[in-house]
Amino acid sequence: MIRVTDDVIIKTIARILIPFIQVYALYVIMHGHYSPGGGFQGGVILAASLVLLLLTHGWEETKKKFNETRIAVFCAVGVLIYAGIGLLCLILGGNYLDYSQLSKLLSVLPAEARSLGILGVEIGVGLTVMAVMFSIFFDISTGGDSPEDEGQE
Amino acid sequence: MHGFFLGTSIILCFLVLLCLYRGICGPGVLNRIAGISAIGTKTLVILLLMGVIYGRVEMFVDISMVYALLNFIGTLAVSKYLEIEGEI
Repeated sequence: MIRVTDDVIIKTIARILIPFIQVYALYVIMHGHYSPGGGFQGGVILAASLVLLLLTHGWEETKKKFNETRIAVFCAVGVLIYAGIGLLCLILGGNYLDYSQLSKLLSVLPAEARSLGILGVEIGVGLTVMAVMFSIFFDISTGGDSPEDEGQE
Repeated sequence: MHGFFLGTSIILCFLVLLCLYRGICGPGVLNRIAGISAIGTKTLVILLLMGVIYGRVEMFVDISMVYALLNFIGTLAVSKYLEIEGEI
């Protein structure tokens, strides 16, 4: 299990750096269709900020922000957003993930609907990737034992 | 000027190989951490030089920032492992 470090420098640097990492991850997700990046890369950067929090502040501090219930919820919600947008396009009469059909709902031009649709899909992918990446790191670092279960036994 | 950046990139690629040797064969864990960190920093500079060569620096700046960030977290993770194991 990862213990809390008692080094002031590392804790302070992490506390300063984590918000900037998360803002940068949001930038990567939002600009996925103009520049390198997208849902997966932004999700990995978001997960990196959580990994940094877990490394420096330990599980006790991290679970106030992102506990195991939230990991499961975020995994599911991301896939739901992705599949939901795809199915919505199917219901509106197009192919699966044919974003231009969303223009009927949003009352915008088909080109704008494509841009908005890919943004929604990337947000979904980002959420899922963040939760799964953090979950993989967390499971490896604890060796599969859940610290929340240890408290109950 | 184009050739200068290309030459710098090739020299840096050669230096990465030297750091890789230190990372694989280096005696002790600390030498390996230092070697891997140096590889990360050099890769960042190579990426920016590639951006200058291709004339699209604004795209490569994004990638190199992510690389710098993950390099920092990776070094921190290995240091954390050393702190727990007490191997120094």
